[in-house]
Amino acid sequence: MADRRRKQRRSEPREQPEGAQREKAIRAQGVVVEKLPSAMFRVQVQREDGTAHEVLAHVSGKIRMRWIRIMAGDRVTLELSPYDLTRGRIVWLHK
Amino acid sequence: MSRRASDAVPTRKSRRELAAMSAAGRIVAGLLDLLEGKAVPGVSTGELDEIAEQFIRERRGEPSFKGLYGYPATICCAPNDVVVHSIPSGQSVLREGDILGVDVGVEVDGLHADGTRTFAIGEIGHRARRLLDATREALAKGIEQAVEGATVEDISRAVETHVVAAGYSVVRDLTGHGIGRRVHEAPSVPNFVDHKVFRHDYGVRLQRGMTLAIEPMVAEGAPRVVQDPDGWTYRTADGKLSAHFEHTVAVTRGAARVLTVSGERSGDGRGRPRRT
Repeated sequence: MADRRRKQRRSEPREQPEGAQREKAIRAQGVVVEKLPSAMFRVQVQREDGTAHEVLAHVSGKIRMRWIRIMAGDRVTLELSPYDLTRGRIVWLHK
Repeated sequence: MSRRASDAVPTRKSRRELAAMSAAGRIVAGLLDLLEGKAVPGVSTGELDEIAEQFIRERRGEPSFKGLYGYPATICCAPNDVVVHSIPSGQSVLREGDILGVDVGVEVDGLHADGTRTFAIGEIGHRARRLLDATREALAKGIEQAVEGATVEDISRAVETHVVAAGYSVVRDLTGHGIGRRVHEAPSVPNFVDHKVFRHDYGVRLQRGMTLAIEPMVAEGAPRVVQDPDGWTYRTADGKLSAHFEHTVAVTRGAARVLTVSGERSGDGRGRPRRT
C-alpha cells in the first residue's frame, strides 16, 4: 500500500471565539515619576474619582518609531488593561 | 494521518527478520503470479480479493492491509485511471482492455512484504502496454540504485528520470516507504525529486539490512490525482491511465535483493532469476 504524502502543515490563523468582544483599554492621564531601564516608566495616574496610583508603563511602538524622548515630569496619556490596572502603555506625550 | 514515518530512523533488519520478510515476499510474488492468470475479463475484483486472502492464509501468512488504517480488504485494486487503493468489490467486473493494478501485503512472523503488479486484462492497446513496460522498467531502475551507500534521492531520481523520458509523469501524492515490522516505516521513498516537498527523506543513506518498498506510480497524462468519496481510491484528475509496480527490496553489500519474488533465489526485479 503506497504511503501518502503528508502535506506541509500551514498554520491556520486562530479565530476569535464567536461573539467575543475585544476588551477596550482604559485611557488615563498621568505624570511620569521615574525613568526605568528598557524604556519603562513609573507613571502616577489620576483617575476621575481622584484616586491615584502608580503604573508600570512601557512606550508604545508609535512613539518609539518617532524617536520621542520621555522624561520624568512629563504628562502622558496611558492605555491601561482592564485586567491589570498597574500596567500600561504610554500612547501620547503632552507638550 | 498523524503517523510520521519520516520522523523515525530507518531500521536495519536482522538475518532472521530478513528471512521472515523473504518468506512474506515469496507469498506476495506467488500470489501475484496466480492472480495474473485469474485476472481475466468477467472476473470481479471481489473474487480476486477472496482468492488472495485464501492464498495467503493457506501459506500461514496474514494479509497486511486488512485493518491497516481501517482498510477493509486484502488487496488494493487499481483499474485503468485509478492509481492506487481502490477497494475490491463483487460489483466491479473486469473488462477486456482494462489494466488492473493489484497491490498486496503479506505478514509473516510479524514482518511485512508489499508488492504490486499492474495486469493486462485480455488484450490491451499499445498505449497501455507501453505504459506498463515503462513503469516496470522505472521500478527496475530504482531498484538498481538501492545499494549500500546510496541515498533515497538516487532511487527517486532514477525512477523520475525514466518515467519522464518515456513521456509520462510521476504521481507525487503517494510514495514508496520503508517496510518491516510495520507496513509503512521510515524513510519515505518518493518517485520524484523535489526538495521543497521532502526535505529529510532524500538524504537518508542506505545501509545493509534496510528494507524498502519501492513503488513507482505513473500517470499517462498529468500527475494530478483526486480522491474518491470512499476516502481510499486515488485516480488521475484527467482520467488517463495509471500504472503501478512495486517490490520490497533489502539493501545488501552488493546489488539490492528483491524479496517479492517466487523461488529461493532472489532476482533483479525484471523477472529473471539471478544466477548463484
